[in-house]
Amino acid sequence: MIRTTIALTVLAEARWPEPGDDAVPQVPGFVLSSFNPVIAAVADRCLRRRYGEPPAPRDDGSGTALVLVSASGDIASANHVARTVDDGGRVGPLFFFQSVPNSIAGYLAARWRLGGPVVCLCPTGDPRADGLAEAELLIADGDAAAALVVLVEQSGVDGVRATAAAVLVSGGS
Amino acid sequence: MGGVRLSGLAMASALGRGTEAQLAGTLAGVAAFAPVTRFDVAGHRVRVAATLPDAGSLTDELATAIDEACGSAGLSGAHRAACPLVLAVHAFPNAPRVSADRWRTATELAELLAIRVGLGPVARVYTSACVSASTALADAAALISSGRADRIVVAGGYLVEPDQFALFDAGRALATDGAVRPFSTGRTGLLLGDAVAAVVLESATGGRRRTGSPLARLTGWGRAGDAFHAVQPHPQGQGLAKAIGAALRRARIGPGALGYINAHGTGTPFSDAAEAAGLRQALGPAAAHVPLSSTKATHGHTLEASGLIELGITVLAMRAGKLPVNAGFLAADEACPLNVVHAGPRSVNSEWALSVNAAFGGACTALVVRVT
Repeated sequence: MIRTTIALTVLAEARWPEPGDDAVPQVPGFVLSSFNPVIAAVADRCLRRRYGEPPAPRDDGSGTALVLVSASGDIASANHVARTVDDGGRVGPLFFFQSVPNSIAGYLAARWRLGGPVVCLCPTGDPRADGLAEAELLIADGDAAAALVVLVEQSGVDGVRATAAAVLVSGGS
Repeated sequence: MGGVRLSGLAMASALGRGTEAQLAGTLAGVAAFAPVTRFDVAGHRVRVAATLPDAGSLTDELATAIDEACGSAGLSGAHRAACPLVLAVHAFPNAPRVSADRWRTATELAELLAIRVGLGPVARVYTSACVSASTALADAAALISSGRADRIVVAGGYLVEPDQFALFDAGRALATDGAVRPFSTGRTGLLLGDAVAAVVLESATGGRRRTGSPLARLTGWGRAGDAFHAVQPHPQGQGLAKAIGAALRRARIGPGALGYINAHGTGTPFSDAAEAAGLRQALGPAAAHVPLSSTKATHGHTLEASGLIELGITVLAMRAGKLPVNAGFLAADEACPLNVVHAGPRSVNSEWALSVNAAFGGACTALVVRVT
């Protein structure tokens, strides 16, 4: 329906979990849910495959966008907040900070010095196609030179971790 | 004349229903905050928000706004059927309580809306917190200006509800004195507000065939990130300055051409100062001269709907030749050396205005409109 105009080059890819993965590393300031730690783990893995240790080189990072794509969003946190509210309890302040997917994107942007746009989407079709289409739009439009696209889903079943994939793309060959 | 045509507009907030209510409320500078009666707030530190008394469900209100925007643009049934919808929302309304068997997604809400108002497919759904609507507008403009789409309806909404209210209260983000005072001394935080809004964006040629002059032209847009912190803005407004620079370049104007800035201005001490620094960095000396106000002081922080309601108010104000009042202003803060419109509505002579937004994650956007 909406055409794309430039070809993207895949610079690195990663998944969580990959063979050998066990517990996902916790992220300071993010609690209860696996949603945000899994995003951080898959993004770190993808960016390390391209850049080694953080941060990304200045020339690359300053124009790199972060595109998070998730149909579910953080179900575990949303359910926890709703249950707490319905029970008349007090929500912990950390849930305020993780109430939107932007926050973990900001954590990653700061850690890797990624200064491009931050965009969070609920997919309208294939999540990877949606994420790459957004990356392509930002690059073709000139607000980004590259984009880290992270796809993440959470089942909502207690104890079942979120799963994620990440792909780093650029507009150049 | 360049830019993407903004040819249909519909809005509702605690200031009332319709565009005239938004303009009248923001020009008068009367804040719409009142004790919350929509749900129980007894256990909270702060108990006020700006709510529309007769608000229906978010789904119903969004459908009404989209229908009205299409009507004001003069779109026929055939036009609608070929027109994609772009939506900006937090999530499916009340998802944790209505998803017992299957989790409902924001895209499902968009699909429901598209069917109900006779629009074409859902193109994108943005869940980017307080820059959801402004990013949706920027992306829609990019799609149209690059020839990938001829017409797009962009809609967004947030109605004050118990979960986000509890989260903002727990995060101590809400103003403790019942008022939002952007860029003023004595500001203590934000207050939440209802808003639903929709616009029709069209290509320069597509819209001209059907209607006369558009309400405005979206001539510049920019999005960038702070690369600084998970939730705090860069103290020098790095991302905001970058986004503004990109928007002005696309609009092909310099800072001195701007006649008005609709600021993000949440009334949060640190964020307003960071925004002022970003404006100074992007606009140079013009930052101290261009009239500026944050209309959040009247309609509240409308979260995912912010970019739409604030761009709409900017367009209406520029068309009226009068600038909205930054309500709640007590005295100038030296950390925010800006030309704040606070004593009463001011007249404007320029054709260009800037609307900026920022969000958690350091996400920043800037939109430039031209009203002739």
